Amino acid sequence: MGLAPLAQARNCSVSLPTRVPTETLERRIGAEEVGILADFSHAFAATLDIDETLRRAVAQIAEYMNAEAAAVFLVDEDGSSVCRASAGPVDVVGLRVERGKGIVGRAIAENRVQLVRDTLRDPDFLGDQRGFHSRSILSAPLDSANGPIGALQVLNKRDGALFDTHDADVLRLLAVPTALALNNARLSRELVEQNRIKREFQLARQMQKTLLPPRRRDLPIVAMNLPAREISGDFYDFFEIDDGRIAFCIGDVSGKGMDAALLMVRASSCLRWAGKDGAAPGVWLARVNQELCDTVTRGMFVCAVAGYLDRNTSMVEFASAGFPPLLLHRGESFREIPASGPPLGILKDVPFEAHRAALAGGSLYAFSDGVTDVRGPDRKPIGMDGVRALIGRVAGGSPRARVRAMVGHLRRLALSDDTTLMLLSDDDAQPRYLGGIGGLSDPENLRLVRRSVSDVVLRLGFDEAERQRLVLSVDEAVANVIRHAYGGCCDGRVELSFWLDAGAIRFELRDFAAPVDPERIRPRDLSDCRPGGLGINLIDTVMDEWRFLRPDGDGNLLRMVKRLP
Amino acid sequence: MTDINDCATEDQQGFKLVRVRGEVDLSWSQRLRKTILDALATTRPVAVDLSQVTYIDSSGIAALVEGFQNARGKGQRFNLVAVSKPVHAVLELARLDRVFPILASLDEAVK
Repeated sequence: MGLAPLAQARNCSVSLPTRVPTETLERRIGAEEVGILADFSHAFAATLDIDETLRRAVAQIAEYMNAEAAAVFLVDEDGSSVCRASAGPVDVVGLRVERGKGIVGRAIAENRVQLVRDTLRDPDFLGDQRGFHSRSILSAPLDSANGPIGALQVLNKRDGALFDTHDADVLRLLAVPTALALNNARLSRELVEQNRIKREFQLARQMQKTLLPPRRRDLPIVAMNLPAREISGDFYDFFEIDDGRIAFCIGDVSGKGMDAALLMVRASSCLRWAGKDGAAPGVWLARVNQELCDTVTRGMFVCAVAGYLDRNTSMVEFASAGFPPLLLHRGESFREIPASGPPLGILKDVPFEAHRAALAGGSLYAFSDGVTDVRGPDRKPIGMDGVRALIGRVAGGSPRARVRAMVGHLRRLALSDDTTLMLLSDDDAQPRYLGGIGGLSDPENLRLVRRSVSDVVLRLGFDEAERQRLVLSVDEAVANVIRHAYGGCCDGRVELSFWLDAGAIRFELRDFAAPVDPERIRPRDLSDCRPGGLGINLIDTVMDEWRFLRPDGDGNLLRMVKRLP
Repeated sequence: MTDINDCATEDQQGFKLVRVRGEVDLSWSQRLRKTILDALATTRPVAVDLSQVTYIDSSGIAALVEGFQNARGKGQRFNLVAVSKPVHAVLELARLDRVFPILASLDEAVK
């Protein structure tokens, strides 16, 4: 029977002074010691209040060892030891002993029992507390897998005798369940703390979710956010503004921890606030950038896209701050629209150029880098090509079904980062009227024609070179009407309208002059260098398609078509 | 608008220099045509400065082509100088960018 607790003690790595052979120790420990050891272990096992148990334990130790006083010290974070419970004439709870100092410090530093028969002869003895005279001290370390966590100490035998090696062995034995109980208490405290943190993370996640807009069946926007952990550094938002356009934004905060989650909250509310008044996307991002530069911790930043969708025309205007390229998918083709500036929160006063595009029956996908960084079966990030393939695979479904299918597919791969996906769709295949201009066949009006063409093609996302060519072509067509159909200035009527149709812009030019013979209007051979006759040539070069249609009523109708970028 | 459509001829380093500015379109390309032909009516070499032209349509190009052909017909020198980007783009589109003798500046023409 007497061996069982000892075996346990050894397993718990109680430090045994090398100078005391185990068999000697076994002989010295009798049934009485085993009894108190059992009591101790039981008391510790049954308790949840470690301080109360320690108080009772030191009282029992003092009683059992016939000592005038007993105390338990625990090592603090700074390495010093603090008394957690004491028994005896002087209450020393809270007494702090520096690392390595005193008998307690020595017991902990050496991880050995210290037996001091005469304090006057021990140079490490620190002196007495409040009139208590220490003659003989016994101190045993409380050992754990990670080294000593404190020490037990008893002072002065009541009968005036000195502590002996038997007492040392007993105290060392009592230190075992005490250390175990303290360790258990620490673990359970940590568990409670972990649970508390987990609950707080869950609350933070719930709060983050409330920042995301609810699903809106009436809007052509679908978005989803998959956090890599409890909380997310990604966000998205969309809302209607006063002029009927839909404002949208999507963002990704650097990092993944609580700091990223808090910055996400800040960035998303900042973006929502800054986009309320319908400011141009570049201005919108610049505002948020200024704000974040002023307030965000150095080294943290936010990648974001902010813009508007006009449902009437399906035109999108947006600016991007360091966000992955957006993908415009129309028919079989993709257009990749890159970021227009650096991430937010890094550099003040940087401009964010706006991009424009028309959905025109297509879809615009915005996604955080969690999507491109997902690893495919070959363990490599799927990249933009992988995303294109995925978009191609889900094409044809409803916007929600497409996003769900994409998210489902991404989930099956190895998601390592927060993943957010937003889809702006336009499933309306009807031609849309984008505007027009009408007036008299006066060359002075050509400037206005060019202005209106320029505006509309820029809104559709054509670049500067294409803009110039389209403006020139339409100008040429109108000039031809003035010159040839009406034979010069200036009282004929000309009407020009712009249409969005099947992924293209359509220019329709109507006049009310005598019908022209389409067969006579042909581009000429450009190698024949001569003035005149160039106009139709330019139109033929620039437009994807042009032809004369028979209008309702008098006159001519020229239709010119150019595919969207 | 700050760019006012205008063209005027001045004597520069032995050249008749026609300076053009603004958007050249049907509304005034005839004036440009006449200015160029008037400059060519002298015996001096002619240069057309297009650095301030922000737009040109085929009627403006036609005025330049007519000037070029007229000059060639009588062995007179005719250069386009300092051609702006928008003009160059249209010349390219009409495949005339290699037809015209284009120079970076009048100084280059004088050399």
